[in-house]
Amino acid sequence: MRKFKRVQWMVMLLLLVMVVSACSGSGGEGNSASGGGSGDSKNVKITLLNSKGEILPQLEEAAKAFQKDNPGITVEIQPVPTGGSPFERASALYASGNPPTMIMLDTGDVEKFKDRILDLSGEKWNADTVESATNATTVDGKNYAFPLAVEGYGFIYNKAVVDKAVGGSFDPTTIKTRNDLEKLFQQIETSGKKALVISSMDWSLGAHYLPLAYAGQNKDMAEVDKFMASLKAGQADLANNPVFNGLMDTFDVMMKYNIDQASPLAGTYERGPELLGKGEVGIWFMGNWAWPQINSFDTANKEYGFLPVPISNNADDYGNQEISSAVSKRIVIDKEKATPEQQEAAKKFLNWIVYEEKGQDFLVNQANIIPAFKNITLPAADPLGKSIQDYIAKGKSEQSMSMLPADHWSKTGSSMQKYLAKQGDRATLVKEIENYWKTVK
Amino acid sequence: MIEEKGVWNRLRTRLLFTGPTLFAFITVMIIPFLYGIYLTFTNWDGISTTLSLVGVQNYLAVFRDIEFWKSFSLTLKYVFYTVVLINVIAFMLAYVLTKGLKGQSIFRAGFFLPNLVGGIVLGFIWQFIFNNVLVYLGQHASIQSLSTTWLADPDKAFWALVIVTVWQNAGYMMVIYIAGLTGVPNDIMEAASIDGANSWTRLRKMVLPLMVPSFIVCIFLSLQRGFMVYDVNLALTKGGPFSSTQMVSMHVYEKAFLSRDYGVGQAEAFVLFLMVALITLLQVYFSKKLEVEA
Repeated sequence: MRKFKRVQWMVMLLLLVMVVSACSGSGGEGNSASGGGSGDSKNVKITLLNSKGEILPQLEEAAKAFQKDNPGITVEIQPVPTGGSPFERASALYASGNPPTMIMLDTGDVEKFKDRILDLSGEKWNADTVESATNATTVDGKNYAFPLAVEGYGFIYNKAVVDKAVGGSFDPTTIKTRNDLEKLFQQIETSGKKALVISSMDWSLGAHYLPLAYAGQNKDMAEVDKFMASLKAGQADLANNPVFNGLMDTFDVMMKYNIDQASPLAGTYERGPELLGKGEVGIWFMGNWAWPQINSFDTANKEYGFLPVPISNNADDYGNQEISSAVSKRIVIDKEKATPEQQEAAKKFLNWIVYEEKGQDFLVNQANIIPAFKNITLPAADPLGKSIQDYIAKGKSEQSMSMLPADHWSKTGSSMQKYLAKQGDRATLVKEIENYWKTVK
Repeated sequence: MIEEKGVWNRLRTRLLFTGPTLFAFITVMIIPFLYGIYLTFTNWDGISTTLSLVGVQNYLAVFRDIEFWKSFSLTLKYVFYTVVLINVIAFMLAYVLTKGLKGQSIFRAGFFLPNLVGGIVLGFIWQFIFNNVLVYLGQHASIQSLSTTWLADPDKAFWALVIVTVWQNAGYMMVIYIAGLTGVPNDIMEAASIDGANSWTRLRKMVLPLMVPSFIVCIFLSLQRGFMVYDVNLALTKGGPFSSTQMVSMHVYEKAFLSRDYGVGQAEAFVLFLMVALITLLQVYFSKKLEVEA
C-alpha cells in the first residue's frame, strides 16, 4: 500500500511537470519566434504581415533580394488569410503575444494600434512622400506608418471596345458630364457590345462608389471633414444634397445599362475583369488593383484607362474630371515584442524599398504599385497605374475617403445593394445611410 | 469509490484522476469565459492597451441594437425550419435504412458524408451550385424559379441556407436515430405484431416512445447547431443579399471585429449564450418527461 502511494505521487508529479513544461515550452517558442535569436546580433529575423494578397509572390521575391543585399537579416512574409481583415489578424497576433515585426494595415486602422507601434517620424523617407500621404497616420505630430501604395478607382474602359463605339481613337477627356457618359454607353450598345458591368460587392459600392458623394462635396478637405461631422451629428440633409443626388443619378444611368440588369446582385468580382478583358463590356467600375485579373483576359492589347464618375451635367463641377485616389496600404513596425535589432532591420527594409534600385523595381515593376514617394521616378508598369499617375500629374485627383469607420463599407454597401436590386428607392437609401451615421461612435 | 481515509488522501486521489482534465478545462474554458464576461463591462476595441469600465452600458447597447434582434429573429425562424426538417428527414432515412435494404450501409455512409465536409468548403460548393449549375439548368430547361440565382434574392437565399444545412446535418442525426432504432428490443416488437398491431401502430405506439432519448439528443444538437451557425452562413451568402440572411453569430462577430465594438459584441455573445442555454435546457427538461421504459 505504501509503495502504491509513492507511485501515485510520482505519477502526479510527472503529470504536473508535463503540464507546466508544455506551457512554458510554448511560451519559450513564442519568444524565440518573435525574438529571432536576438542574442546573436549577426542574424536578425523579421516578419511582415502582408494584407495585399495579390502581391504575395512578388513580396517574397523582394524579401529574397533584400536578404541578398543585407546578409544577416531574414525577412519572412506572413499572409493574411483570404477574407480576413488585417486588423483582425494583427489584433489576434497581438492577443497571442506573437505579433509580426511589420504589419501592413489599412489607413484607418493605424491609429488604433498607436500604443503598440513605433513612431516613424524620424525616418528619412518622410520628406520624400507625395503630398498629404502621411496626414491620416499622424497622431499628435507623430507619423506612425509607412505609406506603401497609391490606389485609385473610377470607370475602367477597354479601349478596343470604346474605339469601335466612337468610331476612331477614344479620348477620355471628352467625357465631362453625365450626358457625355450616357452617350458613350449608348454608342457602345449600338456597336453591339454591352455598355458596362456593375460589380455588386458591398465593399465596391460602400467603400468606393458611395464615398464619392462625401469626397466630392468640396475640393477643400477641411470642408469635407465638416460635412462628415454634420453627417455624424445627423444634421446633413442627404436627400437634398446636390452631390449625393448627382452621384445617384449617375448610378441610375449605370443601372440602366448594366449587363446584369436581370439579376443585379448575382455578379461576382471575378466576372468583372473577365467581361472587361474579353471586351464583352466596355466599362467597369473598379480600381487599378484589378490589373492582374484584367490582364489575364486581355484582348485589347493592354490598352485600358480610367474615366471619372461624373456627378452632374456641368463640366466644371468638382468631381466630374477628377479620379479618386489615395494612399491605401501602410506598413507599421511593432515596438512591443520586436527587439531593437529587429526594429532597425525593419526600418532598413522600408528604406530599401524607397531608395534602392532593387526595392523600387519590386514596388513599381514587379508589384505594379503606384509609389507614394516623389523620389521614385519609374513610370507605372501597367496601363491602369499609368492612367492614375496621369490624372495625379495633371492635378485632377480627388482624395479617396480612407478614414471612414471600419463597418461603413458593409453597412452602407448593403443599403446600396438594396437600391441596386430595386428593393428600395432613393428615400430608403438616404434614410439608411443617415441612420448608419447616427449609430457611429 | 474513493476508499482512502482523511481529506488529504481523498483529495490527492481525486486530483490524480481529474486533475489534468480539470486543469485544461479551467484554463481553456472557465478563465476565458469569465474574462469574456469581464470584457463586456469595458469599452475595449480589440487592440488598444488601455480600457476602462463602462458598467452595464454595453448591455443597454445590446437592447438598443435593432440589427441584433432582427438577426436573432431570423435565426429563430432558421432554427425552427432546420430543426424540423433535419429531424423528420433524418428519422425517415434511419427508418428506411434499418429495414434491411440491399446496400443500406453504402446509403448510410453516403448520407453521412456531407457531415465530414467542413462548413466553409461546403458553402463554396453550394454557392457554385446555386450560382452556376442551377442557373444553367434553369435557363436551358426554362424553369422560371431557377433561371436566376437564389442567392441574390432575400427569401430564396434564406431557403438556400436551410437546404444546405439540412443536407449537411440530416446524415449525422440519421446515425443517432439508427443507433436508437437498433436499440428498440425485438421481443416487444414481435409481441406487438402477434397482438395484431400493424406497422403504423407499432411505429406510433412502440418505436417512437422508445426513441425519445434519441430525439432529445438530436433535437438538442440541431437546436444548438442552428443557433450557432456561422460557417455555412459566411461561405454561402456572406449574410447577403444586403444583410438579409445575416444570422446572429455573424452579427455578433461583425459587431466585435468589423465595427470594432468589442465590448458590445462580447455582451451580445453573452446574451446569445444565455438564451441558447435556456432554450436547450428547457427542451431537454421537458422532453425528458416523455421518456418511457421498455
